[in-house]
Amino acid sequence: MAKRSLSTTNITPTATADAAALVDNTYLGAILGASATQKTNILEVQMGGIAAASSPSIMLLARDSTVAGTLVIGSTFDAALDAATAALAAPAVVGNSATVDPQRSATLHLLNLTFNAFGGIVRWVAAPGEEISIVGLAASLGEVSLSAFTGGTPGAMGSHIIYETL
Amino acid sequence: MTSKRAHEGEILIDSRFTPGIPEDVLRITGLPPEAGRGLYEAPTYTCSHCQRVVMMNPGRTRERGYCTGCDHYLCDQCGTVRAALGGVCRTFKQIIDEVQEAGARGLPASPLLILGPDNRPLNITPT
Repeated sequence: MAKRSLSTTNITPTATADAAALVDNTYLGAILGASATQKTNILEVQMGGIAAASSPSIMLLARDSTVAGTLVIGSTFDAALDAATAALAAPAVVGNSATVDPQRSATLHLLNLTFNAFGGIVRWVAAPGEEISIVGLAASLGEVSLSAFTGGTPGAMGSHIIYETL
Repeated sequence: MTSKRAHEGEILIDSRFTPGIPEDVLRITGLPPEAGRGLYEAPTYTCSHCQRVVMMNPGRTRERGYCTGCDHYLCDQCGTVRAALGGVCRTFKQIIDEVQEAGARGLPASPLLILGPDNRPLNITPT
């Protein structure tokens, strides 16, 4: 068990409808289970806007109805929070680029993090025991993604997702 | 005996140094009007039946969904389903256990095998 941070520094998300393929390197990350029994908890999500003009951004953490195929790190960063963390044999797969792009479920939106990316900040922290979880590696429980929904005008932002594979 | 407040997370939307969130966007997202201006902080809870995170609107007067089976608040959708099914409690933790059990037995990790909180298979059709 080790807490990790999946972060981005400067991404302008592409607003994408539900059940449509997310665009490589323009969503803030996906977390996919590494085995049929693996469980991962999401403890915290934060985004900070760095856009140069007003950019109301409808950001959603949601389960994916199509999970990513060959998900790679892309323009995200993944690091352990504890300096003494030992590498897991089968860590959860994270990133924002894939050969088969994930698709956000139309019904399983988990967290609405709307904010203005022109200097705004949004942050959600779970109470202990109330974390969002991912289990297995199949749709729709095996993967979540953080991406922009249609309706706003997403601007540049940085982000982090704190997660822990159990 | 724990308080319901022990289950609360927190959401912070800081629009103090921004033009804020326009009303049309707030309407789309269902956020309360005050969430689009200044510094907005609100407690949240995680629905124990589906794990949606619900922002607790301090101005809400309607009763919240609540499950006596798991002693947790529910989101509106799961609260309605629970009432319609006569008080069935099916927590997300149970669903996780079933997925892990299926995985450990080498059964296909198909959500078709997994019942959702409304006792119907999860995601028969892509959603």
